[in-house]
Amino acid sequence: MTKKNNSMIQRRLIPTYIFLTIVSIFSVFPLYWMIAAATNTSTDVSRGRILPGTHFMENFKNLTSQQPLWRALGNSFLYAFATTVVCLLICSVAGYGFEIYNDKWKDKLFSILLLAMMVPQVATMVPLFQLFSSAKLLNTTLGFILPMISTPFMIMMFRQHARAFPIDIIEAARIDGLSEIQIFFRMFMPTMKSTYAAAAVITFMNAWNSYLWPKVIMTDNKSLTMPMLIANLITGYVVDYGMLMCGVLFCSIPTMVIFFILQKQFAEGITGAVK
Amino acid sequence: MKKKLMAALLAGMMALSVAACGGSDDAKDNGGDANNADGGDASGDDANAGTDAESGTDAEGGSEEGDAAGGGKLTVWAWDQTFNIKAMELAAEQYKKDHPDFELEVIEQSSDDCQTKLTTCANAGDYSTMPDIVLMQDNSYQKFLKSYPDAFTDLTDIGIKWEDFAALKQSYSMVDDKHFGVPYDNGVCAAFYRTDILKEAGYKIEDLTDITWSKFTEIAVDVHEKTGKYLLTSESTGGDIIMLMIQSCGANFVDEEGKAYITGNEVAAKCVELYADMIKKDAVKLVNNWDEYVKTVTDGEAAGIINGNWMNGTLVGIEDQKGLWQITTIPKVDDVETATNYANNGGSSWYITSNCQDVNLAKDFLLNTFGSSTEFYDTILPATSGIACYLPAGESQVYNEPVEFYGGQPIYSTLVEYSSHIPEFTKTPYHYEAREAVNTAIMQIVNGTAQEDALKEAQETLEFKMSE
Amino acid sequence: MSTKKNGMTLIQKQRIAGWTFLTPATLMIAVMSFYPMFRAFVISLQTGTGKNMRFADPIFNNYKRILADKVFQQSITNTFLYLLIQVPIMLLLAILLAQLLNNQQLRFKGFFRTCVFLPCATSLVSYALIFRSLFAQEGLINTILVKLHILNSGYNFLGNSLSAKIVIIIALVWRWTGYNMVFYLAGLQNIEYSVYEAAKIDGANGWKTFWRITVPLLKPTIIMTVITSINGTLQLFDESVNLTKGGPANTTITMSHYVYNTCFINVPNFGYASAMAFLIFIMVAVLALINLKVGDTRD
Repeated sequence: MTKKNNSMIQRRLIPTYIFLTIVSIFSVFPLYWMIAAATNTSTDVSRGRILPGTHFMENFKNLTSQQPLWRALGNSFLYAFATTVVCLLICSVAGYGFEIYNDKWKDKLFSILLLAMMVPQVATMVPLFQLFSSAKLLNTTLGFILPMISTPFMIMMFRQHARAFPIDIIEAARIDGLSEIQIFFRMFMPTMKSTYAAAAVITFMNAWNSYLWPKVIMTDNKSLTMPMLIANLITGYVVDYGMLMCGVLFCSIPTMVIFFILQKQFAEGITGAVK
Repeated sequence: MKKKLMAALLAGMMALSVAACGGSDDAKDNGGDANNADGGDASGDDANAGTDAESGTDAEGGSEEGDAAGGGKLTVWAWDQTFNIKAMELAAEQYKKDHPDFELEVIEQSSDDCQTKLTTCANAGDYSTMPDIVLMQDNSYQKFLKSYPDAFTDLTDIGIKWEDFAALKQSYSMVDDKHFGVPYDNGVCAAFYRTDILKEAGYKIEDLTDITWSKFTEIAVDVHEKTGKYLLTSESTGGDIIMLMIQSCGANFVDEEGKAYITGNEVAAKCVELYADMIKKDAVKLVNNWDEYVKTVTDGEAAGIINGNWMNGTLVGIEDQKGLWQITTIPKVDDVETATNYANNGGSSWYITSNCQDVNLAKDFLLNTFGSSTEFYDTILPATSGIACYLPAGESQVYNEPVEFYGGQPIYSTLVEYSSHIPEFTKTPYHYEAREAVNTAIMQIVNGTAQEDALKEAQETLEFKMSE
Repeated sequence: MSTKKNGMTLIQKQRIAGWTFLTPATLMIAVMSFYPMFRAFVISLQTGTGKNMRFADPIFNNYKRILADKVFQQSITNTFLYLLIQVPIMLLLAILLAQLLNNQQLRFKGFFRTCVFLPCATSLVSYALIFRSLFAQEGLINTILVKLHILNSGYNFLGNSLSAKIVIIIALVWRWTGYNMVFYLAGLQNIEYSVYEAAKIDGANGWKTFWRITVPLLKPTIIMTVITSINGTLQLFDESVNLTKGGPANTTITMSHYVYNTCFINVPNFGYASAMAFLIFIMVAVLALINLKVGDTRD
């Protein structure tokens, strides 16, 4: 394309750029406000100050002295990480199974599993709690992750990706004497990197941000997660907004970082899955 | 490059996870201060040394006899670092002086979370994750009692001289004649006023003492006109003003049998009428949630607060309003015979759950601190600004000290004195439902609905909630 | 299995492997979703407060009770209002953004995409608190509006039932547009560029291309996002709790929030709560089914 053509095209795109910029500002502004609030004192925040201040260290110190910030961060990481690893494993295997070994029965089963997505969490809380407490799984990592590691959504994502996987490779591998499991691990998994990345981002975010279930099952302060810590901050008699937003900042950073790092693979993965 | 970053990130996450499991380093921050102003963690870690987190009661405290010299460990759920949790920790310290092996672990839970967890546990029939002692809001306790009667331990024979506590406070945690809770946070209501703003409008605090609500409305409108400040602010749906009003008359939105009693309830009608009138005349500012409510105080927009004494904790933190506040009695409802200038709002008590392994230890601990020790109450007062319901404490020196924040008014003893005048009223487990229904009706009335119709709807809503 | 001289045939081995692959995930879903739902249904047939549960008489009493519950009905109205207004706005915006970002000549694509997706990284509690602070009576939005002389004094966004609902809708659009946009973007990237070129040759302009070609090709993705949005919106909880507390006077409360209140804030009535939850489940399933059928018939 000639340079003239190029700049003409860019000029035509100006309205698009403007629109996208406005949307981006709207998207990012509340987050900017959160960061700014984390650096201001509570009174400044409630008086509507937008610019960042100099009180970050103070807010940070208050936060760590009043709440077990590091422990909550560590717990959240642990649970989110464990959830992600296990979820990716069993859902990818299931997605592969549904697609590669497809038959009428599996399709029916899959439709039934989709129903599970629609079960409201408020309904399952109490029966699950009863189940877990009799299994002595309260306050454990296992207790946290079990309800989250298998979702029809994830299975569907992996299944979609498996659709694009050529059967001939599988046949060839079988002839070569590889067992089904080996085919999965050696042939299939390496091609699914971007799907795994996308699934990891989504699962990690969901696990990190989950609030209701941990609230129910983690009764011990030692198993506190970040969202629970934030909830503690708003229930005192006086709310320190600067400190609160500092906590919110810490809660949001890890998920944002993960997304930043994995963005490209994330986009690729969703693309592959939507095919 | 990205791969390396990923690997580093993963390694970092795993390191943090291990750190979380292996035992926290939070204690370093607090330096293990004896007074523990910083939070429940350090004490939690102390107690943790060697014992299992979950049950927290298995390892020690096995002695059946319940002895003065014995050690033992107790776990407590409570909220609010600066007030409740601190008081509990100070209690532990005091008890430890005579019982060196005693350990206490306070786990911070918001009041809502306490309730959610208790409900979930109780409903699952599994009390094993409940702590030994739990703090409960007085307004919620009846609800738990009705639903889960076996979740708490009977404290009638704990040894406390019950008459040392205001009758009203006791009744919150009682069933028939049995006591289940040790009253703690005194919810006695007072009217707090900014004397400087009053002065600007030409009033003195005496003009607002022992008055009626209609007089209050008059003054409030005048103050607002002259100074732009509100003499009263309140949460709209979760607001307690209406509950205060009816309770100050010794009545409630239920009758003696516990049935919904809004329509046909003359006292209720009078209270609703007065309150709706206040809103219509813009004598009271309504806000949407708790933090906005607190903000009206910290920002100086509120010239008056009518609420439980625990607002004191919030107030004294506002440096630039020092010396400007004073307290007096709340207004009373006009035209009602049983109306008084006193009421109670909220407050909480300590309960021993049925999961407590060493009930005797827990009883002894509570008895010797919250239950009878003036020395204890004297200690917590300056440290937490917490006013208790223990009447003898009100006679002590500490309680009679003039308080600088209130321009030298000895508020503590005044408040304890107020609490002895609070009338009793019928409790109901459906406190929150009633409050919501009536506040909704009031909003409708302010927006134009006829009072009769709005109240009828409130009655129906409340009846519905109570039905099965 | 009957024994053969050389063990199982290859086909049988594969079949078993196939089912084995599914087992862990299916088992977890069965235990974590279906079993509790079933238990919840059984509980919904019981009545009583707290632990004093007994089977209701008549057995569907809890469901009948829903008909008399004005607050629950209000919550249904509220939730459907969010559904009918917020979801279309959000999805349209998402598709639009995806379409714009799919332009090969556009620069800074990655930057814009990240900006729009960033809200999705916040936890629900966090962003509800942020929005609550922003729209408070003396919050930032009011401060700006007053400075611009659009208002005289702070407007009580959260205290007014209509504006409170609007704040929730704005918050939801802010939070979830990016998420859906990513899916649409992916779907668009799967459409071969040659299709667009052919359309251009045929003389179709931007709009026509969009509606006649892009949207039909995106159908599976659209259906999926509509179903997940319906699911998410009907089960809306965190925003109602943290942004408006269901207020003012229950005019913004969602169904799940009300169910939660019935369990934990009010005197616990788990039977009734489970009945309401089951009703929500049915609603979501029916709507999803309708959506699928509608999507299918157009083919």
